[in-house]
Parts: sequence; structure tokens; C-alpha cells
Amino acid sequence: MRLILNVTLSGVSADHTVEFDAEPRDEDVKRLAVELVRSGDIPGLHVAGLSDRAFDDYVVDRFDTPEGGRRLFLRPKVPFGGEPSAASR
Amino acid sequence: MRIVFCGVGALGSTAAVLCRGLGAELAFVDFDRVESKNLAAQAFVKASLGRNKAEALKLQLASFYGLKSEAFPVKLVDDNVDALCGRADLAVDCFDNAASRGVLQAWARRNGRPLVHAAIAADGTFGLVRWSERFVPDVEDAAGQATCEAGEHLPMIGTLAGTLARVIQDFVEHGTRRSAVVSLRAVTPTD
Repeated sequence: MRLILNVTLSGVSADHTVEFDAEPRDEDVKRLAVELVRSGDIPGLHVAGLSDRAFDDYVVDRFDTPEGGRRLFLRPKVPFGGEPSAASR
Repeated sequence: MRIVFCGVGALGSTAAVLCRGLGAELAFVDFDRVESKNLAAQAFVKASLGRNKAEALKLQLASFYGLKSEAFPVKLVDDNVDALCGRADLAVDCFDNAASRGVLQAWARRNGRPLVHAAIAADGTFGLVRWSERFVPDVEDAAGQATCEAGEHLPMIGTLAGTLARVIQDFVEHGTRRSAVVSLRAVTPTD
């Protein structure tokens, strides 16, 4: 299956089309993203020495597109509305 | 059209100010108070120090723009969510914790109400605006994890809040439900 994978790293997001035999697990997506960023295959995202664990704390969102495709977003966690209040301290 | 902003910290207060021209009835829910450090990253002014954030935003909109709004200076929980949001045509989630986001999302799903979420990463490099059908709240890495306190992420907060305000405007005027991810370099529609 062909997927569009969007990766965000250090404030930069970019798309890359990838092929999988079946729906990949989160771990597979993260491992692939590390390799893609190291190799520079994703436009604007090239870090040759990227850590194996760079995406360990990331989230994988999975959406069907209106065109019938599949889109994955590998992104940082977004827990906040801007600033933690007293309730979350 | 009644819009209820749940959480008026950095994203909520900034987006609410940008929604002042929509002709909608605005209401704010937040139990927290304005502290001096909030002035660096939120839409509050020095005269609002010490006030409840929902009340302060209501007063600022009235005094700066002559706009009437409503304020609910309470914490949103299961027991009061219906009373606070029951008349909302649109709820906007700008909370800073997964628990409150979950309460609001569960209410919206139970009642079939439109709910849009805005959320930002702790390091201020990434954020998203997403409708509730596709939103799963992220849990903080650690309780009280600090973000955005020094105002260093203010441009990113402005971009994300502006994106949220535009999504709200499109919903109010056309009924459309757009989502977007916001990085340091671009605002990218995701549907």
C-alpha cells in the first residue's frame, strides 16, 4: 500500500510517499522516518546523525484522505493550549 | 452563533481577540488567574493582573472594542460542562491538559456538538488545529511541563491562534471544517 507520510522535526514539516505491504505499526513508521531523515530523502529534513530514538516520544496520526488514500503524520506531542495552568502543575 | 472558548491562556485568549469581528456571541471558560509571566505570551494587559482570565478577557474586549461577551471563572468538569457549553453552537478547546480536553470532547460527542481543538508542542515548534472527529488529546510528558512562559514562542502562538481564528471564521460563515498543522515554516491544511 502507498502512504503519504508527513514528518515534523525541529519545526519543519514535509511529506514523503512510502510503500508498505500492510498498515505499518507506529514503531515501523518511526524507524523508517529516522532512516529517511538521515538519508535526506525528505525535502528540507536532512540530519545525517539523527538519533535512533529521535521519534520515540512522537505520535502517529492516521487519516483516510478524501481521495481514498492514506495519510500518516509523525509529529511531536501537543499537550498544551499555550501555557500550563496551576491545575497541571 | 454562540462560541464558547474553553481555556483562555495563550492560544485561547489570542484567538478570541481575533474572533471579535465575527458578529458571534463569545463566551470564555477558565478558572485560572492572570500572572505577570502571562503578559509575555497571552492577550492580557498589565491592568488585568490578578483577575480571573475569563473575566479579564471579557473586560478587555469590552473596554478596548466595546464588545460584550460572557465569562465563566470556573474549572470545566463533567458536572458543569453541560451548563457551561450547553448553548454553544461551537466549542473551542484551548485547554492545557488532556483531562480537560477529554471532558469537553466527551460532552461534544454525546451531544453531537461541533468542537475544534488547538494544541501546541512544549518546545513551541509545532501545533495543530483539528476538529474533534480526528483529535486525540496528547498527555503531557510530565505534570507541570513548562512551555511558552517567557514569550519566546509568541510568533508561533500568534500563527497558531490566527490559524484557529480563521478556521472558526470559515465555520461561522460557511459551515466548513478545515484542519491544519502549523510548523515554524508553514501552515499546512490537512484536509
